[in-house]
Amino acid sequence: MRDREIDEALERAAQAPHEVNPALLERVVGSLKSSMRPVRPLPPTWVLAGGLVLICAAIALAGAARAGFYGIEKLSVLERALIFPTLGILVWVAAVEFVSEMIPGSRCIVAPGALLKIGCLALLGVFAMLFRDYRTEHFVSAGVACLMTGLLHAVPTGLVSWWLLRRGFAVNSVPAGLVGGTLAGLAGVTMLELHCANFEALHVLLWHTAVVPVSGAAGALVAWTLRLRSGSAAHERNSPE
Amino acid sequence: MTPVDGAREHVDNGKVCVKTLYPMVPDSNLEMLMTRYQEGDFAAAKALIDRLSPQLHRFFLAQFASRADADDLLQETWLRIHKVRHTYRPSEPMLPWFYAIARRVRVDHYRKAIRTTAREHRLEEMSDVAAIPGESDRTDDLEALLAPLPQSQREVIEMLKVAGMSLEEVARATSSSVGSVKQKVHRAYEKLRGKMSAMGLSKGRSGGLS
Repeated sequence: MRDREIDEALERAAQAPHEVNPALLERVVGSLKSSMRPVRPLPPTWVLAGGLVLICAAIALAGAARAGFYGIEKLSVLERALIFPTLGILVWVAAVEFVSEMIPGSRCIVAPGALLKIGCLALLGVFAMLFRDYRTEHFVSAGVACLMTGLLHAVPTGLVSWWLLRRGFAVNSVPAGLVGGTLAGLAGVTMLELHCANFEALHVLLWHTAVVPVSGAAGALVAWTLRLRSGSAAHERNSPE
Repeated sequence: MTPVDGAREHVDNGKVCVKTLYPMVPDSNLEMLMTRYQEGDFAAAKALIDRLSPQLHRFFLAQFASRADADDLLQETWLRIHKVRHTYRPSEPMLPWFYAIARRVRVDHYRKAIRTTAREHRLEEMSDVAAIPGESDRTDDLEALLAPLPQSQREVIEMLKVAGMSLEEVARATSSSVGSVKQKVHRAYEKLRGKMSAMGLSKGRSGGLS
């Protein structure tokens, strides 16, 4: 059997008339009538993504301004020229993807999981290329401090980003949470690169980069929990007792 | 943007080709109606409901839903569409937006059903129902024809063949890549070929599939 014959069979089957109960359609139309009012469509993707990038930049800069710009002051021109454009590109891609996740039927430029992997690998690649000091002084204590600082800046970024996209509708909330968390994590890494003057290779490779996957996982977990709770709430509302 | 003449890609021996199908409604009309719906035009909303409900209802029926479930899902989908209608942007294709929401409603519905009635067993039974002779032999019935396919392949075929969406639009609606959609279509055709060949639907029986 050729594909053309399958096509024809499917077409013939699809052409068969299919009717919906007119009473059901009347009910649907009636239920919408009372709340019919004009709505303002969401702005274009580039506007929303631009807003997200500005939020990331503002929070990273504000955090570094409060804690001190020790990192960027100590970085060479080459290091600055490689680290910050890489972060900028990743933040832009994550922002566009986050907007896509919040608008049904949008084109996905990269899958949420792939975005996280690409983000981490890109950062690891750049850091591995630039930092060659393999000493590990106060590896855990200094590292945990940096991880916490990055995550502390990821949290407000995630919250403000969610507020910006609050009119959106995530058809897949967990991937949307993953992308939102990844974006917030990138803002946290940006803050660390502006602030942290510890250029030990392992410190930067592990603890700075770790902000992105930890934040991404936290975003997915929050989205999953919210979905579970909203599902349970709906279940309770629908239960007879 | 979807071509008005209905030029569509399809899979032929593993390669994606273009084939002319029959879109139920030109997309430009739908997009115009949707824009008016967003502006608060009740007549446009009613026209959209009348035009799109049959294919959405069929989409739910083809996903193992009973007629009553499909009715509930259709109603829930329109309520959800109404609630988030501001998320549609006039520059974007409309059908992927509709179907993305319909998929979400279907997933929510089954999650709820699983919580209340341990639906897993019933779903398995329903999958088995697809193999019952007499149901699946009715090749004029789209739901029966697609019965042997897993849900992910079935929804893709449904969107391509019933809704007349392009591969790009199906990819948008299912939050996946065009490559992934092509792969699902290819696998679905493999399964359908096996099933239809087994049913003795050979080349000689042109028009004899019903």
